Amino acid sequence: MPGGIVFEFPDQYLFPSGLWITIQLSVLSLLGSLVLGTLIAVLRVSPLAPLRWIGAGYVEFFRNTPLLVQLFFLYFATPYVGIYLGTPETFAFNAALLGLALYHAAYVGEVVRGGLIGVEHGQIEAARSLGLSYLQTLRFVQLPQTFRSVVPPLGNIAIALVKNSSLAATIGVAEVLFAGEIVESRTFRADEAYGSVALLYLVLTIPMGIGVNWLERRLVVAR
Amino acid sequence: MRPDTWHLFVEPGILRFFGEGLLQTVLLSLAAVAPSFAVGLLFALGRLSTRRWIRWPSIAYVESVRALPVLLLIVYFGLKGSTLFRPFLGAEFELARFWAGVLGLAMYTSAVLAEIIRAGIVSLPRGQTEAARALGLSHVQTMRHVVLPQALRLMVPAMMAQLTTIIKDTSLVGTIGVFDLLRQGRIIYTQYFNPIEVFFFVAVVYFLICYGLSQASRRLELGRPPRAILDVELRDQAA
Repeated sequence: MPGGIVFEFPDQYLFPSGLWITIQLSVLSLLGSLVLGTLIAVLRVSPLAPLRWIGAGYVEFFRNTPLLVQLFFLYFATPYVGIYLGTPETFAFNAALLGLALYHAAYVGEVVRGGLIGVEHGQIEAARSLGLSYLQTLRFVQLPQTFRSVVPPLGNIAIALVKNSSLAATIGVAEVLFAGEIVESRTFRADEAYGSVALLYLVLTIPMGIGVNWLERRLVVAR
Repeated sequence: MRPDTWHLFVEPGILRFFGEGLLQTVLLSLAAVAPSFAVGLLFALGRLSTRRWIRWPSIAYVESVRALPVLLLIVYFGLKGSTLFRPFLGAEFELARFWAGVLGLAMYTSAVLAEIIRAGIVSLPRGQTEAARALGLSHVQTMRHVVLPQALRLMVPAMMAQLTTIIKDTSLVGTIGVFDLLRQGRIIYTQYFNPIEVFFFVAVVYFLICYGLSQASRRLELGRPPRAILDVELRDQAA
């Protein structure tokens, strides 16, 4: 029976603590990617061409290279240039957190940008002619409307992020998949170990999917 | 930074070593995408079937597989792939790690493609199906001659995007011991202690392939996919 096997170990908290680390990793990197992604979206609609190029370059680079390469770079390569992302205990977690935030910020940036340019141009012109500055227009006219239309796609990114946080196991962050690997290596019972991991991911991602679908329906009706 | 190792990246021997990895990466992607298209189409049609005993298992497969991390599937098949096939293929059967990776990638991609295909079918105007049925075509005939030819065209950009996702995902098979591009890179840097240069080089190679594919798809001007397809892509773009 999946799950039951946990209790045959001295360390009976492997799965719960792994789940807790997955949740922490996902929530923190989601917050990071939302902040960074919004910044990139603002760069991408900026009136200054060089800022737009920086935003576009960021999005294209991070979306078109594997997350695992980015994580390996942050974990294995940063110490070679004297950058230490925390103490030896927190190093792997911080690298994974940063990598997940950077990678998903590119997707968040695209979604928020879509929302920003989705705001009718007449509204921007009206705001500007009423005397609002560029930043004020962004802050009071464009962003509030954007956030509404981007919530369901951002929910989809959050689901992808929870699944992708499993890659942190490859650099030694003790999240759910890593817990499963430890259990498997101690018992050689791969079905039970990975079955439990799968169940824990389903418990996280299926309710999120239902929530996103619900939000989608609500926002469409409200529009 | 190790400027003294930069000459390595133009040396034929080193480039051949990377090339072997790249070949594995490309072969893995192609081997995974071909069967997952067929399986994905089956499950998409299964989900839209009017028979409950076909529809419910299809929904269960698609929804549960796409809710799992692809790395979990790859690691699982890497360990248990051989054992799973032994009842059918004999007690001596060993699943090569390459095919274990393909199995994990294809299983995940088939579920995602099933959702993309279903979203493409559902986004067609209802009048199409109704007109076909009113003309006396059966459900199967409607699908075959009216719905699928139009829906598949809508999906081409999404499928191209899925191909770039698969190429990125193949980097995960290094964890089960397939020597793909990234894994070859790790071998190089553990010899020359130049991870910055190696990972940058590897990232650029992946970038050129994936960016090239996405630009090619844009160049074909196949139009913007329906909103529902974009949502599937966003949720299931994996690593």
